[in-house]
Amino acid sequence: MISKLQLHLTRVFMLIFLRDRQSIFFSLFFPIIFMTVFGFINNGRQEPINLGIVDASSSETAIEFIQQLIDNPVFNVTIGQEARLRSELVEGAQTLVLILPETFDVSGDGMELPLLVDAAQVQQLGLIMPVLQQTLIAIERDFRGNEPLFSLAIEDVQARSQRYIDFLLPGLMALTLMQLSIAGSGFNIVEYRRKGILKRLFVTPIKPRDFITAIVLARMAIVLIQLCVLIAFAVFLLDVRILGNFFAYFFLVILGTFIFLCLGFCLGSIAKTQQAVMAVGNLVIFPQIFLSGIFYPIDSMPAFMQPIAKLLPLSSVSTGMREIANNGASLLEVMPSLLGIGIWFVIAFVLATRLFVWKEVAN
Amino acid sequence: MPIIELDNLSKQYPLPNDKSKSFLAVNGISLRIEAGEIYGILGPNGAGKTTTLEMLEGLTDIDGGSATIDGIDVKTNPFKVKEIIGVQLQANEYFDNLSLVELLILFGALYNRSIDPYELLRKVNLQEKAQAKPSKLSGGQKQRFSIACALVNTPKVLFLDEPTTGLDPQAKRNLWDLVLQLNKAGMTIVLTTHNMEEAESLCHRIAIMDHGKVVAEDTPQNLILKYAPEPPQAPLHGNIEDVFLALTGHELRE
Repeated sequence: MISKLQLHLTRVFMLIFLRDRQSIFFSLFFPIIFMTVFGFINNGRQEPINLGIVDASSSETAIEFIQQLIDNPVFNVTIGQEARLRSELVEGAQTLVLILPETFDVSGDGMELPLLVDAAQVQQLGLIMPVLQQTLIAIERDFRGNEPLFSLAIEDVQARSQRYIDFLLPGLMALTLMQLSIAGSGFNIVEYRRKGILKRLFVTPIKPRDFITAIVLARMAIVLIQLCVLIAFAVFLLDVRILGNFFAYFFLVILGTFIFLCLGFCLGSIAKTQQAVMAVGNLVIFPQIFLSGIFYPIDSMPAFMQPIAKLLPLSSVSTGMREIANNGASLLEVMPSLLGIGIWFVIAFVLATRLFVWKEVAN
Repeated sequence: MPIIELDNLSKQYPLPNDKSKSFLAVNGISLRIEAGEIYGILGPNGAGKTTTLEMLEGLTDIDGGSATIDGIDVKTNPFKVKEIIGVQLQANEYFDNLSLVELLILFGALYNRSIDPYELLRKVNLQEKAQAKPSKLSGGQKQRFSIACALVNTPKVLFLDEPTTGLDPQAKRNLWDLVLQLNKAGMTIVLTTHNMEEAESLCHRIAIMDHGKVVAEDTPQNLILKYAPEPPQAPLHGNIEDVFLALTGHELRE
């Protein structure tokens, strides 16, 4: 149970943290900038592909064919001379340039249409080529009056469009809670030791568990408030949707915060100077930023790295949060993530209570 | 009646340049400090003064011997001892972002007491700084505030570790007055210092430590009588001319 002293201390620490305006500003500033940038860059709509067409044939078929392409929303068509379009392709104004040869006609079988591409955009090409192929085939069928044997009617089973910002928000929140928590316990402990505050507290009858409980509770409260601000920003201004249960989502947030607060205590107990705790802290934080599926899915990483990445505590937290936010998963459905979180919870807690020895940490 | 008793107290530390060997920072000291005394511990840097205080305060483990404060064993009952002592450490920084009043209330809470912070601030003459942050205080004000924090539990024994180091003469005298005033009200005060004037004028008794041992202990007066070198012989006065005149007279000659 939480004692009166622990409650009083928690209030005091909250006051201390809340009055540190500068660090509150910066911990909110960067995630908000991130979300704004990614929220507006990719607004869910597929931009039309810039397609340049060189019409060397001027046949009626060609004109009709071009008209079909112009009518297709997938393409943004420009008609022009080959030389000009080539240079626009190099400059990036065109994504593709299609050349209709003099002999362009429906009657010709198996005609080859030269397609100019910029190899620098080859990755994008992988996405565009099937679209182009499909469109050409559809137009060809139209011309020849062939009924297609079959066609694909695409239906989104999840009945929603997923934007990158939707993917990003849970990861960004997990990242923010990790950084706030590790800094909130680890960096503070070192600072308090350097100033002799821990020593001063130690000569009063306070017990280490009262001190740790108060810092954990106060930090937890601050982290929850800050994350709520981020969620409100994402939901109201960027129209990000959280599909799952809000309480389940925050249940993971609380567990994650606890893990990283404990790990922060470990760091603060091991590292003796501010520089050391920064270095060790970055050693813990940085690999997780890139390996825990914050900015891109773990599945898209090299296969040999995936098992390692999945073991990281931040991976469990961010994966679980994303499942809930993006797919509306229940706590039961995110069991694998919860299991990882549970294991890290125990490891972090045991380590923290082992390593944080008043007498040694204070001196 | 001694309120603090040290018997053969010792503390070992590993040598800084050879961790496998250790040296005795405090080497079996035995002291009796009477209730109501101002007791000074003197000694050059590294003599073991601060280590001795830290063992009494429960900050450092006692490696050998024993210590009791008001009959309570420091080794077996550190939390009971902490209830009845007040401590001012050499480092006197506090949480940023809290005012003096808020800090005093916090310290009171650590002893499970609700206190009147303004009363304590008046005692150390800082009432007009009640809403200030500790970082805005001068050196002397910081030391007085440290003492106010050490008084929240109305301790029986007050430990002061070099309380006047770095203070200007006015702030130093002001702090001495505060110490005398607290002592008059019945508080036992144990302090370490490098200031000989402070030891001589403030302390009822003094222990001089060197290399982890107490080399002398008594009242300042007795220590001076016992150890101060004899005053040098009265210097020669006059010169050979005086001698000459004394032998041959002042009368003018042809």
